[in-house]
Amino acid sequence: MPNEIHVPSRREAIRAQVQSGGGLAAVFPYHPPRALLRAHGLLPVEVWGPPGRSSSRGDAHLQPYTCSLVRAGLSFLLEGGLDQARVVLVPHGCDSLQGLGSVLLDFVKPAPPVLTCYLPRGDRALDRAFLADELRELDARLAAALGTRPDEAALLAAVEREERADQALGELLEGRARVGLGEEAFYRLVRSREYLPAEDFAALAGRALAAPAASARPARTPLVVSGLVPEPMALLSVLEAAGATVTGDDLACSGRRRYRPTQGPEPFARMSEGMLSGPPDSTRGASVEARLQHLRQLARAAGARGVVFLTLKFCEPELYYLPQLREGLAQDGVRALSLEVDLAEALPAPLVTRLEAFVETLR
Amino acid sequence: MSSLGALRFHASVSLLGRAALRLDRLRTEHKLARMKSAGPHLGPPLMTSGWLKELISRHYLTGRYVRGVRKVAWVTSGAPVEHLKALGYYLMYPENHGAVCGIRRWGERQCLAAEDAGYSRDLCSYARTDFGTVLSGQTPVGRLPPPDLLVCCNNICQTVLYWYQVLAHHFQVPLVLIDTPFLYTEARPHMLAFVRKQIDAAVEVAERTAGRSLAPARLEEVMRLSHEAIGLWLKIMQTGRNRPAPITAFDEFIHMAPIVEMRGEESTVAYYRALLAELEERTRRGVGALQAERKRLLWDNLPIWYRLRPLSESLAARGVALVASTYTNAWGELVERIDPTRPLDSMAEVYLHPILNRGTGHKLATMARMLKEYQADGVLLHSDRSCKPYSVGQMDQQRRLAGELGAPALLLDADHNDPRAYSEEQAENRLQAFLEVLGA
Ligand code: SF4
Ligand code: SF4
Repeated sequence: MPNEIHVPSRREAIRAQVQSGGGLAAVFPYHPPRALLRAHGLLPVEVWGPPGRSSSRGDAHLQPYTCSLVRAGLSFLLEGGLDQARVVLVPHGCDSLQGLGSVLLDFVKPAPPVLTCYLPRGDRALDRAFLADELRELDARLAAALGTRPDEAALLAAVEREERADQALGELLEGRARVGLGEEAFYRLVRSREYLPAEDFAALAGRALAAPAASARPARTPLVVSGLVPEPMALLSVLEAAGATVTGDDLACSGRRRYRPTQGPEPFARMSEGMLSGPPDSTRGASVEARLQHLRQLARAAGARGVVFLTLKFCEPELYYLPQLREGLAQDGVRALSLEVDLAEALPAPLVTRLEAFVETLR
Repeated sequence: MSSLGALRFHASVSLLGRAALRLDRLRTEHKLARMKSAGPHLGPPLMTSGWLKELISRHYLTGRYVRGVRKVAWVTSGAPVEHLKALGYYLMYPENHGAVCGIRRWGERQCLAAEDAGYSRDLCSYARTDFGTVLSGQTPVGRLPPPDLLVCCNNICQTVLYWYQVLAHHFQVPLVLIDTPFLYTEARPHMLAFVRKQIDAAVEVAERTAGRSLAPARLEEVMRLSHEAIGLWLKIMQTGRNRPAPITAFDEFIHMAPIVEMRGEESTVAYYRALLAELEERTRRGVGALQAERKRLLWDNLPIWYRLRPLSESLAARGVALVASTYTNAWGELVERIDPTRPLDSMAEVYLHPILNRGTGHKLATMARMLKEYQADGVLLHSDRSCKPYSVGQMDQQRRLAGELGAPALLLDADHNDPRAYSEEQAENRLQAFLEVLGA
């Protein structure tokens, strides 16, 4: 039964990894080279804030006009939240993450080594070649920091494990209607990809899809949710209570990480190709057209007449195209609602009202 | 090129426009020559200001009539442009145009026009100013030519990437991205190779759009002119090391326009030669940019364009000279990396290394070096709400400056182009308290 599926928490996943003698990598969003970290014996555990916590410690280093994701993440690190990590990885995804990585390296200098990785903003052959080189450098830095030297076979095995998990994520999102979980529970399952070992996640997703639905869910208003991360998660319960369901996922933490499987004998080339193969994403510099077309397709496939854009204050990558995306969707008769959230804050009441009213207009 | 367009261009720009602007320059020079000081507490005005005005006006006048006469590229301020110059493009810099809007107090209205169209107030105010200009069609410079090509280099920030994608969507023209990996530490060979390959690709697109091939000799010539202008610009800024400083960062903010948007041109080299000569003459005669210089400060980040004059006056009244800035320095400090005989390799090297593409520790080291070289007593760090890449890191930099480096440093909250994010009273109070600590 789907409601019997136990989704391990971050804490449980961390404990299991530590007990098995493995190490942890604290990883900031958005496109981390998970296979490489796993091949070095590290479990990548992503740091999305975490939400609902004060960012005051981070505020001593970052101005209030940087996004709450970065400020909360830095606070968490300064409070010792990442002390168990053997490395901290800050992939370059935007000006704020760039600043965070730089401040950590130059000023904060936490105990675990801070590593960075530049993600090219195109997906031309030269971008893929560059990223493969960048990953080789990261491999060398991991080796220097940890003393681990995974061989090609180990790297390829890690790539294939992650690809199976990516495929499982895709199947889970596609099979949303078959999984009889409520919105929030479903996203807890989806987001366990952020910290579970790939093979555990794939198995969990498989179980969720195989389990018969508890009972047919009443007809709901299909929606596309776009943005970085569905926080506060209570938003999803509000959606559900209003009679909606997320059938199209354009979230950076999930839908935009449906990487395509790759082939070939060279692990770094495969990692690079995979990481650049996901759906159009702002943090990879996708064009307006690519983002719009992707959203249109998602809405069509999901039968959705509404898109909810969840934006974080000061998040330029997500804010720039909003006028064009709204306009383009409107041409297809798809309405859009933008909600600005702050990771450190609970769900504000006006936001709930707006969301409920939006769902009502779609019925 | 239509013959009517060419005729209009030659009549309006080459003949009448040039003559009118020259006349205006002569008038300005005449006026400046009679002025004893540029302000109540400032030294005499720079005589070359008239020439600068002529150069900038000519640039925008050319832009008004250039459509159909030359190909137009809109470029980011840190983008490699030498190949575009060599191919005869007219270059439009939305950031520079944004600064003009800021100085002329058009920033807020342009930002509002963008916000009315749905753009968030949390976007960089240069981008909002540009969107406002594009959407309203209004600008203090008359008219901007639409682009045939967009060239974006993210060596200053990632914001330009989204900004230019929006422009590409609006104008439906090709966008060339030159993606420069951020240098947390040093550039690695694969990074240089990546940028170099993209420059080759950028040249191909520019040639295709221009309908002609790049002549290597012409590219070398443009590179030589760029190199010379950048070298002169660096020397101009370095005259600020003298006591009293013959030029302040406030002057540099204005006089930097040609090095950003007209490098690679003979006229820029000639103009900077004249400005350098004027400053050297001032230095010889002991003439300062301020009537009485008592304290010297370094500026970090973009200027607050809409408050340039009041801020300059207010500091001058207290005898405080802004003798240098990391912002203007960025257009001179890379001169050593340029080798005009290897133009494309040089471009990859130079455009990967601007201060904004380097780590926060590098900026602190730059400030520490400049503090010494310019014998500055402290630092004003403009915490620019619009510009995260420049501003993030300043809180730690401030602590290090004040602590280990013993240089008092003030974080001044503002926004370079949107006056709504600036509180005059708060800024003035903080500045006053800081200057008291400095003993100014
Ligand atoms: S993409 Fe947006 S939310 Fe994410 S780190 Fe960057 S600015 Fe913050
Ligand atoms: S002001 Fe800053 S954010 Fe804006 S375009 Fe310039 S570098 Fe980018």
